[in-house]
Amino acid sequence: MIFGLEFPPLSHIVDWPVFLFEDTAFGINKVVLVYFAAIILTVLVFVLGNQRKLVPTGAQNLAESSVNFIEDGIIMQSMGPRGLKWAPLLTAMFFFIFFNNIFEVIPGVQMPGTARIALPMFLAIFVWFVFNIAGMIEHGPIGYLKHSLIPPGVPVGLLPIIVPIEFVSNFLVRPFSLMVRLFANLLAGHILLVTFAVLTAALWTTEWYAVFLPLPLFAVIFFVAFEILVSFLQAYVFTLLTAVYIDSATSHEH
Amino acid sequence: MRRITRLLLIAALGVAALVGTAAPAGAVGESVEGCTIEAVQEMLEGKEGLEPGTPEYEAISEETEEAVADCIEAPNVLLPEINEVIWGGIGFLVVLFFMMKFGFPAAKKAMTDRTAKIQGDLDAAEQAKADAEAVKADYESKVAEAKAEAGRIIEEARQDADRLRADQQARLNEELTAARTQAQADIDAAKGQAMSELRGEVATIAIGAAESVVGANLDRDAQTRLIEDYINRVQAAPSGNGQG
Repeated sequence: MIFGLEFPPLSHIVDWPVFLFEDTAFGINKVVLVYFAAIILTVLVFVLGNQRKLVPTGAQNLAESSVNFIEDGIIMQSMGPRGLKWAPLLTAMFFFIFFNNIFEVIPGVQMPGTARIALPMFLAIFVWFVFNIAGMIEHGPIGYLKHSLIPPGVPVGLLPIIVPIEFVSNFLVRPFSLMVRLFANLLAGHILLVTFAVLTAALWTTEWYAVFLPLPLFAVIFFVAFEILVSFLQAYVFTLLTAVYIDSATSHEH
Repeated sequence: MRRITRLLLIAALGVAALVGTAAPAGAVGESVEGCTIEAVQEMLEGKEGLEPGTPEYEAISEETEEAVADCIEAPNVLLPEINEVIWGGIGFLVVLFFMMKFGFPAAKKAMTDRTAKIQGDLDAAEQAKADAEAVKADYESKVAEAKAEAGRIIEEARQDADRLRADQQARLNEELTAARTQAQADIDAAKGQAMSELRGEVATIAIGAAESVVGANLDRDAQTRLIEDYINRVQAAPSGNGQG
């Protein structure tokens, strides 16, 4: 307790009680509502964007430029033209993650759906299945194992070292890093915002130390802008890495 | 388009309001202190007067410790809540299905259609330009042709005129020459006739004169012949004083 500051424990700032369907596996809390909001927004962008006008405006512009962004900014950079068939998956992924992230700074909500581990975990496991199955379809199960565990040109003597490293790197670290990167970034952002918001609230007083109020206040404003960037960036990184993993699992050259 | 923007905005605000109101004071309001105090108060309610050392006291104090520990040790943030996994998974699959079946193909189609249309328009414009240029070239060649034709016609007319003039000149000259020749011939003929008439007259007069002089009527034919001979002699004599 510094300056009489009541700072909530870490677990409490992301803990949201279930208020609907309590005691079932389908309990609904604020985080689940954020998921719903992300679904609605993603669908809205593309439904409203389906205008078929020659000169796109508004939602159509957003939908089409994001399609361009996914195709040129993510797929062409990481997979090349053969990755274009993955565009719908990556678009869905990008939008769902981005809208879940951006609720971090939406007033009245201020809770990213991805600051809880459930969604990043599900998405990372989903991606893990996607790139492994795609690799097995491309190379066959045995061929895929060889493809991902044995880099070409490695002397046989080194294989006992290389194969476990490759296994851990390709099958364990990849989904784990995907999950943790998204989750930790958004949780950290949320904690940052909470911290400075609590500080600002504590300094909102008639005591002399209220002169320090501008510091956390401007920090909150700055971090809101920063977190908007992070929301976009993390959605982009997650999608890009998904594309990279699918590409490395299905590529024929190393 | 403003209508769409407003619609989107309203939708987003609606969702935000829904989520906002649905959030009980779970986040910032609940603190470790509040939780601890609450737990201790709950445990101690109606338990005044307990002596330390009694089993009941020990049990309650243990329970209280556990409750306080629970307050400090909140749920692990690294463990997923099952309901969130289920809803998050369903949510993502819904979005994925929507994007694969509808959203992405529609947006993509709109874009490729536009690309095709713009390309088509550009091609058409290019074609129209080429056509216009062809028409212009055609027109220009026709103008040049017409000019050449006009020049040719003028040249021809000029040549015709020249030729005509030359012809006329020649004919005129010819006619003049002919007229002159004719006149000369006429003159010559008239002169010859006059000469012969004069000669006859002179002979007659001479004869008459001679007759009257001689007084004797000479044989007319012999006289005439005589005079003719004379005249011819005169004529054939040195040409300087012959004529006239």
